[in-house]
Amino acid sequence: MSYLELLKLASPEAIVVITVLGVLTIGLTTGREAAGATVSTAQPTRNASRRSSTRSAALCSFVAVLGLAVAIGAVLMLPRNATLFGGMLVITPLTSLFKIICIALAVFTVLLTTSEKSLRHPGEFLAIVLLATVGLMLLVGSEELLMIFIGLELLGLSLYVMAAFDKSDLRSAEAGLKYFLFGSTSSAFTLFGISLIYGMSGTTGLAAISAKLATTTVQPLLAVGVVMTLVGFAFKIAAAPFHLWAPDAYQGAPVPSAAFIASGSKVASFVVLGKIVLLGFAPVHGSAAWHGMVAGWSPVLAVLAAFSILLGNLVALAQSNVRRLLAYSAVAHGGYTLLGLVAGGRDGFSAALFYTTTYAITLVGAFGVVGFVRRETGGDDLSNFSGLCSRSPLMAGCMAIFMLSLAGIPPLAGFFGKFYLFSAALRAVPNYGLLWLVALALFGSFISLYYYLMVLKFIFVDKWAEAGADHRSLVTDHVLQKSAICLLAAAVLLLGVMPEILAAQILAAIQ
Amino acid sequence: MSLIIHYLWLIPAVPLVASLAILSLANAWRRSAAALAVAGQTAALALSAVAFLPTLQTHGFRAVQNFTWFTFGDNALRLGFVLDPLAAAMLLMISLVGLCIFVFSIGYMAEDKNFVRFFAYLSFFSGAMLGVVVANSLLLLFIFWELVGLASYLLIGLWIERPSAAAAAKKAFITTRIGDMGFFVGMLWLYNRSGTLLFYDDGKGCLESAGLAMLGASATFIALLIFFGAVGKSGQFPLHVWLPDAMEGPTPVSALIHAATMVAAGVFLVARVYPLFSLGAINGVTSSLTVVVWIGVTTALMAALIAIAQADIKRILAYSTVSQLGLMMVSLGVGGMAAGIMHLLAHGFFKALLFLGSGSVIHGCHSEQDIRKMGGLRRFMPVTFVTYAIGMMALSGVPFFFSGGWTKEEILHAVGHWPPSRAPYYLMFAGVVLTAFYMTRQIIYVFFGNSRTAAKQAHESPPVMTIPLIVLALGAILLSIVLTPAWPWLHDYLTGESVHFEIGRLIQPMLFVSLALVSAGIGIAVWMYRKAGVQDGDRPADIDPLEHAQPALFRFLANKMWIDELYARTVIAFSWIAALLSDWMDRYFWDGLVRGFGAIGQVFAMFTAGVDERGINTGVDETTVGARGLGRLMSAAHSGQIQIYLGIVAIGMLALLLLYAWLA
Repeated sequence: MSYLELLKLASPEAIVVITVLGVLTIGLTTGREAAGATVSTAQPTRNASRRSSTRSAALCSFVAVLGLAVAIGAVLMLPRNATLFGGMLVITPLTSLFKIICIALAVFTVLLTTSEKSLRHPGEFLAIVLLATVGLMLLVGSEELLMIFIGLELLGLSLYVMAAFDKSDLRSAEAGLKYFLFGSTSSAFTLFGISLIYGMSGTTGLAAISAKLATTTVQPLLAVGVVMTLVGFAFKIAAAPFHLWAPDAYQGAPVPSAAFIASGSKVASFVVLGKIVLLGFAPVHGSAAWHGMVAGWSPVLAVLAAFSILLGNLVALAQSNVRRLLAYSAVAHGGYTLLGLVAGGRDGFSAALFYTTTYAITLVGAFGVVGFVRRETGGDDLSNFSGLCSRSPLMAGCMAIFMLSLAGIPPLAGFFGKFYLFSAALRAVPNYGLLWLVALALFGSFISLYYYLMVLKFIFVDKWAEAGADHRSLVTDHVLQKSAICLLAAAVLLLGVMPEILAAQILAAIQ
Repeated sequence: MSLIIHYLWLIPAVPLVASLAILSLANAWRRSAAALAVAGQTAALALSAVAFLPTLQTHGFRAVQNFTWFTFGDNALRLGFVLDPLAAAMLLMISLVGLCIFVFSIGYMAEDKNFVRFFAYLSFFSGAMLGVVVANSLLLLFIFWELVGLASYLLIGLWIERPSAAAAAKKAFITTRIGDMGFFVGMLWLYNRSGTLLFYDDGKGCLESAGLAMLGASATFIALLIFFGAVGKSGQFPLHVWLPDAMEGPTPVSALIHAATMVAAGVFLVARVYPLFSLGAINGVTSSLTVVVWIGVTTALMAALIAIAQADIKRILAYSTVSQLGLMMVSLGVGGMAAGIMHLLAHGFFKALLFLGSGSVIHGCHSEQDIRKMGGLRRFMPVTFVTYAIGMMALSGVPFFFSGGWTKEEILHAVGHWPPSRAPYYLMFAGVVLTAFYMTRQIIYVFFGNSRTAAKQAHESPPVMTIPLIVLALGAILLSIVLTPAWPWLHDYLTGESVHFEIGRLIQPMLFVSLALVSAGIGIAVWMYRKAGVQDGDRPADIDPLEHAQPALFRFLANKMWIDELYARTVIAFSWIAALLSDWMDRYFWDGLVRGFGAIGQVFAMFTAGVDERGINTGVDETTVGARGLGRLMSAAHSGQIQIYLGIVAIGMLALLLLYAWLA
C-alpha cells in the first residue's frame, strides 16, 4: 500500500481540502481589510469597500465552485472498485455516485451563498462549507466505524459553525449552540455504541462486524450497542424524538447553512446509516412486520419512522414560519425515508437513497426561495410569502414545484420517490408485513398536503399588504442565485418525468 | 436502421419547447411569439421531411426506439417512438398543414389581444399532436392524446370572456373525456393481458404476433374500448355533439384542430392499433370492425343530413367534418385501411383549406358567420373564392383533379366489397350526394348572387392569409397525382407494396358511379338554390327553399336532430340529480365526518406543538433573549433548560432499548 495510491484514491477529498486553503487565503488577503474598513472609515469609502468585499466574495465563490467541479472530475476518474485499510476508504459505484451528489449539493449551497449579504466573511464561510463537504465525502466513502465517526465529527463541527455564522443575529447563535449541544451528546452516544460493538466483535470494519455478529447470540450488550449507534444517526437525520434541534437550526441558521444541513448532511447520513444497518448489522435485522415483530434494528427504525411521520406532519400544521415548517416536514420526510431502510434489501435501500436525493434537491431549492423572500421582505414567515407570485412569478413558480414535489404530487420527483419507497416497503416483507407503516406514511403525506398548499395559498392567493412596487425585484438581480433555483426546479421536474435517470443509476450502484 | 429514429422525439419536442418559451413572453411581444411558433413548426416540418426519406427507400419500413420510463421491482414501464409509413405520412401532413395555419393566424389574429397566448397554445397543440403520431406505446400515445385534448380545451375557450366559448370548451373536454375513459380501461385491460403497451418491440409488442396471441377473445372488447376513445375524439355518433360547438374557437383553431388534425387522431388511433381490431378476422370481418363500420355509417349520414340545414358557415363545415370522419371509419371498418388514411391525409389539406377560406370570408365580412347574410363575395374576394371552390370540389369528391375524388372512390370501392352487407355501400352513395349538395348550397349562398347585409363592405384578406390558402389549394390538387388508381403511389406506400404505373386502371366503373353521384348532388343543389342567391339586396336570404318544401324535416335537421336536447333531458338531467345528491351527502354526511376527524387532529397537533414549542423551546428561548450574551447563555444553558433536551434524548434512547429488549 503506497502513499501514492492512497493519494490517488483520496484525490477528490484532497482537492476539496486544497480548495479550502485557497478560499481561505483569498478571503484573508482580499476580504479582511475591506471588512475592517467598513467598520472604521467614514461614509464615502464605505461603498468602495463594500464593492471590494463583494468582489472578494465573488472570487471566493468562483474558486470554491471551480474546486468542487474539479473534485467531481476526480471522482469520475476513480477506479470502479477499491478498498483501502480494511474498509477505511472504499470506492464503489455507490460511493462515487453519492460523492458526486454531495459535491453537487455543496455547489448549489455555494451558489446560494453568493447573494447572502448577512455573512460578513464569505471566504471563511465557504471554507467551512467545503470542509463539511469533505466530511460528507469521508462519510459516504467509508465502511469502517472509526472512520465514519471521524467523518461525522468533521461534518458536525463544520455544521455547528455554519449554523452560528451570522454573528449579528441572536437566533443564529442560538441555533448553533443548540445544534452543538445536541449534536455532541448524540455523538457521545454513538461513540459509546461503536465502542460496545467493537468490544463485542473486535473489529471496526462493517463487513467483519457482520461476520462476527452472525455467530454471536442476541445479548443485552449488543442491543445497547446497536441502539446507541442508531441514536447518533437519528439525530443527524432529525428523526423524532431526536429532532429537537432541527426547528431552531433551520430557522435561525443563515439560509445557505440551513439548506446544507437539510440536504447534504441528510443524504450522506442516510447512505452511511444504510450501510451500517444493512451491511454491518445485517445479522440482527429483526422484523418490523405487524404480525411478527422480531428484535433487531428494523423495529427500532420502524418506531422512529412512525413517530417521525406522525409528529413531523402534525406539528408542521401549526407553524407560521416557513423555515420551521420545513424543519418539521423534514422530520416527517426523514421518517418516510427510514421506511426504505426498514424494508431493507436492494430495493428498499435504493428507494431510500432515491428519495433522500430528490428530497435534498427539492429542499435546497426551497431554501433558496426562502432566502430570496427573506432578502426582499426581511422575514420568512408565511405572511412574508403572500403575493409572491406578483412580485416574482419565477420564484413563485419554482416554489410551487418544490412544495408540490414535497407533497408527492405527480409528475414531480417527490411522487416517484414516495412511490418507490412505499412499493418497496410493501413488497419487502411477505403478507404485507409493513402495511401498518405504509398506511401511516400515506396518512402522513395526506396531512402534509395541507401545509404545503398553505404555503402556496399565501404565494398565489393572498395579496401583499404593503405597496408592491418597492419590492418588485429586477430580473437582473441575483441572477446566479435565481438560475440555481430554476435549475433545481427543472431537476425536480425532470426527475419526476424521467425518474429512471437517477433510479437506475442508484439501483445499479448497489450490489 | 436510420439515424433519424434516434432524433424522432425532437419532432414533438421542438414545438412543445417553443410553446413554453412563448408562454414566458409578455403580452406585448407579438412578433417574437409568432416568430417562435413559426420557427418551431418549420423545424418540425423539416424534421418530418427528413423522417419521411427513409420510409421512401424501403417498402414497409419500420424503425422503433424504446426506452425505460421507470422500473418498479421487476417490472419496467417502457415507452418508445416509432417511424413507419403511417407515422411519416401523418407527420408530414400535420406539420405542413400546421405551418400554413400558423402563418394564416398571424393575419387572422392580428387584432386580437390574446395573440401571444394563442400562439403558445397553438404550438403546444402541434407538439402534442405530433407526439400522438410518433408514439410507439399506447401509454405514451394516451399521454399525448390527453395533452391534445387539453390544448383543444384551451384553444376553444381562448376568448374566455365569452360564456359560449367557455361552455363549448367545457363540453368538448368533458365529452371527449367520456370517450377517453373507455380508452383508458381498454389500455389497462390490454396491459393486464399482454404485459406490455409497446406497439412494436422486436416481436414482443402488443401489436405483434406474440402479444396478440396472449389476448384471445378479450381482443374484441379491448378494441371496442379503445374505439370508444376514438369515437369521442373523432366526433363519431353518439359523442359527436361537442365538435360543432367547438367552432366557438378562433377559425384557425377550427381549421387545425377540429378539421385537419386532432379529430383525425381517432381515425389514426384505430389505424395504429388495427391488428387488435382485425385479430381473428374471417374474410376481413370481425365483430369489432363491424361496430366500427356501423358507427361510421350512422355518423356519416346523420352529420351530412344535419349539415344541409345549417346557416352558420363554420357549422356546416363542422358537420361535414363529422361526416367525413364517419366515412374514414367506415373505410377502416371494411378493411380499407389505406383508403381511410389516404382520405384522412387528403381531408387534412382540403378541410383546412375550407376552414381557412371560411376564416377569410368571416374576416372580410367583419365577423359575420351567417351565410344568409353574405352573397356575391366572389367579386370582392377572388382569391378566397377560387381556393374555396377548389376545396369544395375536393370535399364533394369531384373526380380527376381533386384529391378527395380519388380517395372517396377508393373508399366506395372498398365498401362495395364488404362481405356482410351491401347496405353501407348504398348509404355511402347517399352520403356522397348529400355532401355535394350542402357544399354547393353553401357556396351559392356565400359567393353568388347579390351582396346582402354583411357582404357590403367585404374586402379581400391580406397576403399573409391568402398565401396559405393558395398553398393548401395546391396541396389539395397536387396530392391527387399520387392518389390515382393508375399510379396509386400513396396507397402502396402505406401498405408497403411496390408501385407500378398502369394507365388502364384509371378508368373504372366506380369512376362513373362517383361522377354521377357528385353531379347529382351539385345539380340538385344548383336547381334548388338557383334563386336563393339573387334575392333582394339588403334583406338576409328568405326562407330556405328546402324549408319551403319540407318545413318539419328542415326544422328537425336545423335543430341537429334534437340530440343535444335529448342528452340534456337524459344524461345531463341524471348527472344533475346525482350531483344534487352528492352535494347533500357532502354537506351533511361527509363534511361532518371530516370535521370531526379534523378536530381530533387539530387537538392532537396543538398538544404536540405545545409540548414541543412551549415546554421545551420556550425555556431555552427565554434565556436566550434575556441573557443577551453568549457567555451568560452558556451558563444559563448549563444551569437548566438544555437538560430537558438531553433528557428527551435519554428517554428516547431508553424507550428504544426497552423496545429492543421486549422484542428479544
